[in-house]
Amino acid sequence: MRWLRFALLILAVTVIQKGLLSRWSSKPDLLIILLVFFAIYYNTSEAIISSFTIGFAADLVGSPMPMGPHIISFGLFGTLLAYLNRVMAIKRMPYQALAIFATSVLAGLLSHLLAYITGEPIAGNIYAVVFVTALYSSVVGPFLFLPVAWWMRIKTNRFGRRY
Amino acid sequence: MARKHTKVSRRMLFTWFMLTGIIFLFAPQNLTDKFQLAFVHVFRWPLSIGGNLALTARTQQPLTGTVGRSEIKNRNYIATLEETLDREREKFKKLYGLYNTYVWEGTNFVLADVITATVEGTRNELTVACRKTNGLARGQFVLGDNSIVGTVSDVSSRTASVKLFTDPTSRIAVKIGKLDIKKWMQGNGNNTAKIPLVSIEHEIKKGDNVFARKNAGFLDAPVIVGRVAQLKRDDKDPLFWDITVEPACDIEQLEDVAIIIMNPQK
Repeated sequence: MRWLRFALLILAVTVIQKGLLSRWSSKPDLLIILLVFFAIYYNTSEAIISSFTIGFAADLVGSPMPMGPHIISFGLFGTLLAYLNRVMAIKRMPYQALAIFATSVLAGLLSHLLAYITGEPIAGNIYAVVFVTALYSSVVGPFLFLPVAWWMRIKTNRFGRRY
Repeated sequence: MARKHTKVSRRMLFTWFMLTGIIFLFAPQNLTDKFQLAFVHVFRWPLSIGGNLALTARTQQPLTGTVGRSEIKNRNYIATLEETLDREREKFKKLYGLYNTYVWEGTNFVLADVITATVEGTRNELTVACRKTNGLARGQFVLGDNSIVGTVSDVSSRTASVKLFTDPTSRIAVKIGKLDIKKWMQGNGNNTAKIPLVSIEHEIKKGDNVFARKNAGFLDAPVIVGRVAQLKRDDKDPLFWDITVEPACDIEQLEDVAIIIMNPQK
Protein backbone atom coordinates (compact mmCIF):
# COMPACT_ATOMS: atom_id res chain seq x y z
CA MET A 1 0.00 0.00 0.00
CA ARG A 2 1.25 3.48 -0.85
CA TRP A 3 0.21 5.19 2.35
CA LEU A 4 1.00 8.76 1.30
CA ARG A 5 -1.20 8.40 -1.78
CA PHE A 6 -3.85 6.77 0.41
CA ALA A 7 -3.79 9.72 2.87
CA LEU A 8 -4.04 12.31 0.08
CA LEU A 9 -6.88 10.41 -1.55
CA ILE A 10 -8.89 10.15 1.67
CA LEU A 11 -8.31 13.83 2.43
CA ALA A 12 -9.43 14.93 -1.05
CA VAL A 13 -12.50 12.70 -1.02
CA THR A 14 -13.46 13.84 2.50
CA VAL A 15 -13.27 17.50 1.42
CA ILE A 16 -15.32 16.76 -1.73
CA GLN A 17 -17.93 14.86 0.31
CA LYS A 18 -18.33 17.69 2.82
CA GLY A 19 -17.92 20.65 0.46
CA LEU A 20 -19.08 19.84 -3.04
CA LEU A 21 -21.61 17.07 -2.37
CA SER A 22 -23.17 18.34 0.85
CA ARG A 23 -25.50 20.71 -1.04
CA TRP A 24 -26.89 17.86 -3.17
CA SER A 25 -30.07 16.29 -1.85
CA SER A 26 -29.29 12.77 -3.10
CA LYS A 27 -25.64 11.89 -3.35
CA PRO A 28 -23.33 8.89 -3.31
CA ASP A 29 -21.17 8.23 -0.27
CA LEU A 30 -17.68 8.42 -1.75
CA LEU A 31 -16.06 7.20 1.48
CA ILE A 32 -18.09 3.97 1.42
CA ILE A 33 -17.01 3.44 -2.19
CA LEU A 34 -13.35 3.80 -1.13
CA LEU A 35 -13.95 1.45 1.80
CA VAL A 36 -15.18 -1.28 -0.54
CA PHE A 37 -12.33 -0.60 -2.98
CA PHE A 38 -9.63 -1.09 -0.32
CA ALA A 39 -11.43 -4.13 1.13
CA ILE A 40 -11.50 -5.75 -2.31
CA TYR A 41 -8.09 -4.87 -3.76
CA TYR A 42 -5.78 -4.98 -0.73
CA ASN A 43 -4.75 -7.61 1.77
CA THR A 44 -6.74 -8.04 4.97
CA SER A 45 -4.40 -6.08 7.30
CA GLU A 46 -4.33 -3.11 4.93
CA ALA A 47 -8.10 -3.36 4.49
CA ILE A 48 -8.61 -3.22 8.28
CA ILE A 49 -6.38 -0.13 8.66
CA SER A 50 -7.96 1.64 5.69
CA SER A 51 -11.53 0.82 6.85
CA PHE A 52 -11.01 2.38 10.28
CA THR A 53 -9.17 5.38 8.77
CA ILE A 54 -12.01 5.99 6.30
CA GLY A 55 -14.46 5.64 9.21
CA PHE A 56 -12.52 8.32 11.09
CA ALA A 57 -12.71 10.60 8.02
CA ALA A 58 -16.47 9.96 7.77
CA ASP A 59 -16.84 10.93 11.44
CA LEU A 60 -14.92 14.16 10.85
CA VAL A 61 -17.51 15.25 8.29
CA GLY A 62 -20.44 13.49 9.96
CA SER A 63 -21.44 16.50 12.10
CA PRO A 64 -23.85 16.91 13.90
CA MET A 65 -23.51 13.20 14.63
CA PRO A 66 -20.90 12.56 17.34
CA MET A 67 -17.47 11.07 16.61
CA GLY A 68 -17.22 7.29 16.84
CA PRO A 69 -20.20 5.66 15.07
CA HIS A 70 -18.57 5.72 11.63
CA ILE A 71 -15.19 4.47 12.90
CA ILE A 72 -16.92 1.44 14.41
CA SER A 73 -19.40 0.70 11.61
CA PHE A 74 -16.97 1.31 8.73
CA GLY A 75 -14.22 -0.64 10.50
CA LEU A 76 -16.51 -3.56 11.26
CA PHE A 77 -18.09 -3.91 7.81
CA GLY A 78 -14.83 -3.11 5.97
CA THR A 79 -13.10 -5.92 7.88
CA LEU A 80 -15.98 -8.31 7.26
CA LEU A 81 -15.93 -7.48 3.55
CA ALA A 82 -12.17 -8.05 3.37
CA TYR A 83 -12.59 -11.51 4.93
CA LEU A 84 -15.55 -12.24 2.64
CA ASN A 85 -13.41 -11.27 -0.34
CA ARG A 86 -10.86 -13.90 0.67
CA VAL A 87 -13.54 -16.58 0.53
CA MET A 88 -15.45 -15.30 -2.49
CA ALA A 89 -13.57 -12.84 -4.72
CA ILE A 90 -15.72 -9.85 -5.65
CA LYS A 91 -14.51 -9.52 -9.23
CA ARG A 92 -17.25 -8.32 -11.49
CA MET A 93 -18.85 -4.89 -11.54
CA PRO A 94 -22.39 -6.05 -10.59
CA TYR A 95 -20.99 -7.87 -7.55
CA GLN A 96 -18.94 -4.81 -6.62
CA ALA A 97 -22.08 -2.68 -6.90
CA LEU A 98 -23.93 -5.16 -4.70
CA ALA A 99 -21.09 -5.09 -2.15
CA ILE A 100 -21.19 -1.28 -2.08
CA PHE A 101 -24.97 -1.28 -1.66
CA ALA A 102 -24.96 -3.82 1.18
CA THR A 103 -22.01 -2.19 2.99
CA SER A 104 -23.56 1.26 2.64
CA VAL A 105 -26.93 0.15 4.04
CA LEU A 106 -25.43 -1.84 6.92
CA ALA A 107 -22.79 0.74 7.87
CA GLY A 108 -25.33 3.58 7.56
CA LEU A 109 -27.88 1.89 9.80
CA LEU A 110 -25.30 0.81 12.37
CA SER A 111 -23.75 4.27 12.62
CA HIS A 112 -27.18 5.85 13.20
CA LEU A 113 -27.98 3.18 15.78
CA LEU A 114 -24.69 3.82 17.61
CA ALA A 115 -25.33 7.57 17.56
CA TYR A 116 -28.80 6.88 18.98
CA ILE A 117 -27.27 4.85 21.81
CA THR A 118 -25.19 7.86 22.83
CA GLY A 119 -28.32 10.00 23.05
CA GLU A 120 -28.33 11.55 19.58
CA PRO A 121 -31.92 11.88 18.28
CA ILE A 122 -32.71 9.73 15.28
CA ALA A 123 -34.09 11.34 12.11
CA GLY A 124 -37.48 10.23 10.81
CA ASN A 125 -36.31 9.86 7.21
CA ILE A 126 -33.24 7.75 8.04
CA TYR A 127 -34.33 4.64 6.09
CA ALA A 128 -35.10 6.58 2.92
CA VAL A 129 -31.83 8.53 3.07
CA VAL A 130 -29.70 5.45 3.80
CA PHE A 131 -31.39 3.53 0.97
CA VAL A 132 -31.06 6.33 -1.60
CA THR A 133 -27.41 6.98 -0.66
CA ALA A 134 -26.64 3.25 -0.95
CA LEU A 135 -28.34 3.11 -4.34
CA TYR A 136 -26.41 6.10 -5.69
CA SER A 137 -23.13 4.76 -4.29
CA SER A 138 -23.65 1.33 -5.84
CA VAL A 139 -24.37 2.87 -9.26
CA VAL A 140 -21.41 5.27 -9.23
CA GLY A 141 -18.95 3.18 -7.20
CA PRO A 142 -17.70 0.54 -9.65
CA PHE A 143 -16.90 3.27 -12.20
CA LEU A 144 -14.89 5.22 -9.62
CA PHE A 145 -12.75 2.14 -8.92
CA LEU A 146 -10.77 2.78 -12.15
CA PRO A 147 -9.48 6.29 -11.33
CA VAL A 148 -8.84 5.24 -7.72
CA ALA A 149 -6.85 2.22 -8.92
CA TRP A 150 -4.87 4.50 -11.23
CA TRP A 151 -4.12 6.89 -8.37
CA MET A 152 -3.09 4.07 -6.04
CA ARG A 153 -0.89 2.65 -8.84
CA ILE A 154 -2.44 -0.79 -8.78
CA LYS A 155 -3.50 -2.86 -11.71
CA THR A 156 -6.95 -4.23 -11.42
CA ASN A 157 -8.54 -6.88 -13.51
CA ARG A 158 -12.29 -6.59 -13.58
CA PHE A 159 -12.44 -10.34 -14.19
CA GLY A 160 -9.83 -11.36 -11.66
CA ARG A 161 -7.92 -10.37 -8.55
CA ARG A 162 -5.21 -7.75 -8.26
CA TYR A 163 -1.97 -8.81 -9.90
CA MET B 1 21.34 -0.83 10.57
CA ALA B 2 18.56 -3.23 9.94
CA ARG B 3 15.08 -1.81 10.62
CA LYS B 4 13.19 -3.64 13.31
CA HIS B 5 9.79 -4.83 12.12
CA THR B 6 7.05 -5.36 14.64
CA LYS B 7 4.39 -7.71 13.39
CA VAL B 8 0.91 -7.02 14.66
CA SER B 9 -1.73 -9.65 14.16
CA ARG B 10 -4.92 -8.76 12.32
CA ARG B 11 -6.95 -9.57 15.41
CA MET B 12 -4.91 -7.12 17.54
CA LEU B 13 -5.15 -4.48 14.84
CA PHE B 14 -8.92 -4.82 14.71
CA THR B 15 -9.24 -4.75 18.51
CA TRP B 16 -7.12 -1.61 18.87
CA PHE B 17 -9.02 0.28 16.22
CA MET B 18 -12.39 -0.85 17.58
CA LEU B 19 -11.34 0.30 21.06
CA THR B 20 -10.38 3.69 19.60
CA GLY B 21 -13.83 3.94 18.02
CA ILE B 22 -15.55 3.06 21.30
CA ILE B 23 -13.45 5.65 23.18
CA PHE B 24 -14.47 8.30 20.62
CA LEU B 25 -18.10 7.22 20.86
CA PHE B 26 -18.37 7.52 24.62
CA ALA B 27 -16.02 10.49 25.08
CA PRO B 28 -17.80 13.76 25.99
CA GLN B 29 -19.35 15.13 22.80
CA ASN B 30 -18.24 18.70 23.43
CA LEU B 31 -14.67 17.35 23.32
CA THR B 32 -15.01 15.24 20.15
CA ASP B 33 -17.01 17.97 18.37
CA LYS B 34 -13.82 20.01 18.39
CA PHE B 35 -12.27 17.54 15.90
CA GLN B 36 -15.15 18.08 13.46
CA LEU B 37 -15.09 21.86 13.77
CA ALA B 38 -11.28 21.92 13.57
CA PHE B 39 -11.40 19.93 10.30
CA VAL B 40 -13.90 22.37 8.80
CA HIS B 41 -11.85 25.32 10.06
CA VAL B 42 -8.57 24.00 8.61
CA PHE B 43 -10.10 23.09 5.24
CA ARG B 44 -12.61 25.98 5.09
CA TRP B 45 -11.11 27.31 1.86
CA PRO B 46 -11.47 24.14 -0.31
CA LEU B 47 -14.78 23.35 1.43
CA SER B 48 -16.30 26.74 0.57
CA ILE B 49 -14.97 26.51 -2.99
CA GLY B 50 -16.63 23.11 -3.32
CA GLY B 51 -19.87 24.54 -1.96
CA ASN B 52 -19.75 27.49 -4.36
CA LEU B 53 -19.10 25.15 -7.29
CA ALA B 54 -22.10 23.07 -6.31
CA LEU B 55 -24.21 26.20 -6.04
CA THR B 56 -23.07 27.44 -9.45
CA ALA B 57 -23.88 24.08 -10.99
CA ARG B 58 -27.32 24.01 -9.42
CA THR B 59 -28.30 27.64 -9.94
CA GLN B 60 -30.82 27.97 -12.75
CA GLN B 61 -31.33 31.04 -14.88
CA PRO B 62 -34.04 33.20 -13.30
CA LEU B 63 -37.33 32.98 -15.16
CA THR B 64 -39.47 35.99 -15.86
CA GLY B 65 -41.80 36.53 -12.96
CA THR B 66 -39.80 34.56 -10.42
CA VAL B 67 -39.02 36.29 -7.16
CA GLY B 68 -35.41 37.45 -6.80
CA ARG B 69 -33.34 36.80 -3.69
CA SER B 70 -33.19 40.45 -2.65
CA GLU B 71 -36.95 40.67 -3.02
CA ILE B 72 -37.37 37.61 -0.77
CA LYS B 73 -35.00 39.24 1.71
CA ASN B 74 -37.03 42.45 1.71
CA ARG B 75 -40.31 40.55 1.90
CA ASN B 76 -39.05 38.65 4.97
CA TYR B 77 -37.90 41.89 6.54
CA ILE B 78 -41.30 43.50 5.91
CA ALA B 79 -43.17 40.45 7.26
CA THR B 80 -41.13 40.54 10.47
CA LEU B 81 -41.58 44.29 10.76
CA GLU B 82 -45.33 44.00 10.20
CA GLU B 83 -45.56 41.31 12.86
CA THR B 84 -43.51 43.45 15.19
CA LEU B 85 -45.65 46.44 14.41
CA ASP B 86 -48.84 44.50 15.17
CA ARG B 87 -47.36 43.28 18.40
CA GLU B 88 -46.18 46.72 19.29
CA ARG B 89 -49.59 48.23 18.50
CA GLU B 90 -51.24 45.77 20.88
CA LYS B 91 -48.66 46.52 23.50
CA PHE B 92 -49.16 50.21 22.90
CA LYS B 93 -52.86 49.84 23.37
CA LYS B 94 -52.31 47.93 26.59
CA LEU B 95 -49.75 50.19 28.09
CA TYR B 96 -51.19 53.42 26.70
CA GLY B 97 -48.09 54.20 24.82
CA LEU B 98 -45.72 54.03 27.74
CA TYR B 99 -43.08 52.43 25.65
CA ASN B 100 -42.47 51.26 22.14
CA THR B 101 -39.60 48.85 21.51
CA TYR B 102 -38.05 48.05 18.21
CA VAL B 103 -37.54 44.30 17.64
CA TRP B 104 -33.77 44.31 17.64
CA GLU B 105 -33.16 46.96 20.26
CA GLY B 106 -30.32 45.94 22.57
CA THR B 107 -29.45 42.97 20.37
CA ASN B 108 -26.01 42.04 19.10
CA PHE B 109 -25.39 40.19 15.86
CA VAL B 110 -22.41 38.06 15.03
CA LEU B 111 -21.92 37.84 11.29
CA ALA B 112 -20.69 34.49 10.00
CA ASP B 113 -19.75 33.19 6.55
CA VAL B 114 -21.27 29.88 5.47
CA ILE B 115 -18.52 27.30 4.90
CA THR B 116 -20.66 24.24 4.24
CA ALA B 117 -24.39 23.75 3.97
CA THR B 118 -26.18 20.40 4.24
CA VAL B 119 -29.81 21.13 3.47
CA GLU B 120 -31.23 17.67 2.84
CA GLY B 121 -30.77 14.19 4.22
CA THR B 122 -30.82 12.84 7.75
CA ARG B 123 -29.19 15.95 9.20
CA ASN B 124 -29.48 19.54 8.01
CA GLU B 125 -26.88 22.00 9.20
CA LEU B 126 -24.65 24.89 8.28
CA THR B 127 -21.05 25.19 9.34
CA VAL B 128 -20.15 28.84 9.63
CA ALA B 129 -16.96 30.82 10.17
CA CYS B 130 -17.61 33.55 12.73
CA ARG B 131 -15.79 36.85 12.64
CA LYS B 132 -15.96 36.89 16.45
CA THR B 133 -17.20 34.26 18.88
CA ASN B 134 -17.69 36.38 21.99
CA GLY B 135 -21.06 35.64 23.54
CA LEU B 136 -21.92 32.75 21.22
CA ALA B 137 -23.77 29.87 22.86
CA ARG B 138 -25.87 26.87 21.94
CA GLY B 139 -29.53 27.59 21.26
CA GLN B 140 -29.06 31.10 19.88
CA PHE B 141 -31.19 31.85 16.84
CA VAL B 142 -29.58 32.41 13.46
CA LEU B 143 -30.85 34.82 10.82
CA GLY B 144 -30.41 34.30 7.10
CA ASP B 145 -31.86 36.85 4.67
CA ASN B 146 -33.80 38.41 7.58
CA SER B 147 -35.53 35.16 8.54
CA ILE B 148 -34.73 32.55 11.17
CA VAL B 149 -32.95 29.56 9.61
CA GLY B 150 -31.98 27.60 12.71
CA THR B 151 -30.19 27.60 16.04
CA VAL B 152 -26.54 27.33 17.06
CA SER B 153 -25.78 23.70 17.93
CA ASP B 154 -22.05 23.91 18.58
CA VAL B 155 -19.37 26.55 18.94
CA SER B 156 -15.60 26.42 18.78
CA SER B 157 -12.94 29.03 18.16
CA ARG B 158 -14.09 30.93 15.04
CA THR B 159 -16.35 28.12 13.80
CA ALA B 160 -19.91 27.18 14.71
CA SER B 161 -22.53 24.65 13.65
CA VAL B 162 -26.09 25.75 12.99
CA LYS B 163 -28.87 23.18 13.19
CA LEU B 164 -31.41 24.21 10.55
CA PHE B 165 -35.10 24.24 11.53
CA THR B 166 -35.63 21.74 8.69
CA ASP B 167 -33.39 19.19 10.47
CA PRO B 168 -35.48 16.16 11.48
CA THR B 169 -34.29 16.51 15.09
CA SER B 170 -35.09 20.23 15.33
CA ARG B 171 -38.13 21.55 17.26
CA ILE B 172 -38.99 25.24 17.35
CA ALA B 173 -41.96 26.94 19.02
CA VAL B 174 -43.90 28.80 16.34
CA LYS B 175 -47.08 30.74 15.65
CA ILE B 176 -48.90 30.72 12.33
CA GLY B 177 -49.98 34.02 10.79
CA LYS B 178 -52.28 36.01 13.06
CA LEU B 179 -53.31 32.98 15.11
CA ASP B 180 -52.13 33.22 18.66
CA ILE B 181 -51.63 29.52 19.29
CA LYS B 182 -48.32 28.03 20.39
CA LYS B 183 -47.31 25.08 18.26
CA TRP B 184 -44.10 23.14 17.72
CA MET B 185 -42.54 22.93 14.31
CA GLN B 186 -40.56 19.77 13.54
CA GLY B 187 -38.04 19.48 10.70
CA ASN B 188 -38.72 17.06 7.84
CA GLY B 189 -35.21 16.72 6.45
CA ASN B 190 -36.16 17.60 2.87
CA ASN B 191 -35.80 21.37 3.26
CA THR B 192 -39.27 21.58 4.80
CA ALA B 193 -40.81 21.29 8.25
CA LYS B 194 -44.16 20.16 9.66
CA ILE B 195 -46.44 21.70 12.25
CA PRO B 196 -48.49 18.85 13.71
CA LEU B 197 -51.61 18.91 15.89
CA VAL B 198 -53.21 22.10 14.57
CA SER B 199 -56.98 21.78 14.70
CA ILE B 200 -58.91 22.36 11.45
CA GLU B 201 -61.01 24.88 13.38
CA HIS B 202 -58.18 27.35 12.92
CA GLU B 203 -58.26 29.34 9.70
CA ILE B 204 -54.96 28.78 7.96
CA LYS B 205 -54.21 29.25 4.31
CA LYS B 206 -51.35 28.47 1.98
CA GLY B 207 -48.74 31.23 2.02
CA ASP B 208 -49.39 32.25 5.65
CA ASN B 209 -46.25 33.38 7.43
CA VAL B 210 -44.89 31.22 10.22
CA PHE B 211 -43.03 32.99 13.04
CA ALA B 212 -40.56 31.67 15.60
CA ARG B 213 -42.09 32.59 18.96
CA LYS B 214 -40.29 34.73 21.45
CA ASN B 215 -38.01 32.70 23.66
CA ALA B 216 -36.68 34.28 26.84
CA GLY B 217 -32.97 35.01 26.54
CA PHE B 218 -32.82 34.00 22.88
CA LEU B 219 -35.50 35.91 20.97
CA ASP B 220 -37.41 38.93 22.25
CA ALA B 221 -40.02 39.07 19.50
CA PRO B 222 -41.53 36.74 16.88
CA VAL B 223 -39.45 36.60 13.72
CA ILE B 224 -40.46 35.03 10.42
CA VAL B 225 -39.13 31.51 9.89
CA GLY B 226 -41.09 30.22 6.92
CA ARG B 227 -44.32 30.08 4.99
CA VAL B 228 -47.10 27.51 4.75
CA ALA B 229 -46.27 25.65 1.54
CA GLN B 230 -48.84 22.89 1.72
CA LEU B 231 -52.05 22.57 3.68
CA LYS B 232 -54.33 19.55 3.78
CA ARG B 233 -56.24 17.46 6.25
CA ASP B 234 -54.14 14.95 8.11
CA ASP B 235 -54.60 11.49 6.60
CA LYS B 236 -54.35 9.81 10.01
CA ASP B 237 -56.53 12.25 11.90
CA PRO B 238 -58.81 14.43 9.72
CA LEU B 239 -59.53 16.72 12.69
CA PHE B 240 -56.04 18.17 12.34
CA TRP B 241 -54.25 20.03 9.57
CA ASP B 242 -51.19 18.54 7.89
CA ILE B 243 -49.09 21.72 7.52
CA THR B 244 -45.85 21.77 5.55
CA VAL B 245 -43.65 24.82 6.02
CA GLU B 246 -40.93 25.92 3.63
CA PRO B 247 -38.08 28.25 4.67
CA ALA B 248 -38.67 31.97 4.13
CA CYS B 249 -35.35 32.17 2.32
CA ASP B 250 -33.33 29.95 0.04
CA ILE B 251 -31.02 28.36 2.61
CA GLU B 252 -28.87 26.74 -0.08
CA GLN B 253 -28.02 30.15 -1.51
CA LEU B 254 -26.99 31.70 1.80
CA GLU B 255 -23.46 33.03 1.84
CA ASP B 256 -23.58 34.57 5.30
CA VAL B 257 -25.81 34.50 8.34
CA ALA B 258 -26.19 36.54 11.52
CA ILE B 259 -26.30 34.95 14.97
CA ILE B 260 -28.65 36.78 17.35
CA ILE B 261 -27.24 37.53 20.79
CA MET B 262 -29.95 38.90 23.05
CA ASN B 263 -29.03 41.11 25.97
CA PRO B 264 -25.29 41.08 25.26
CA GLN B 265 -22.90 41.73 28.12
CA LYS B 266 -21.48 45.23 27.91
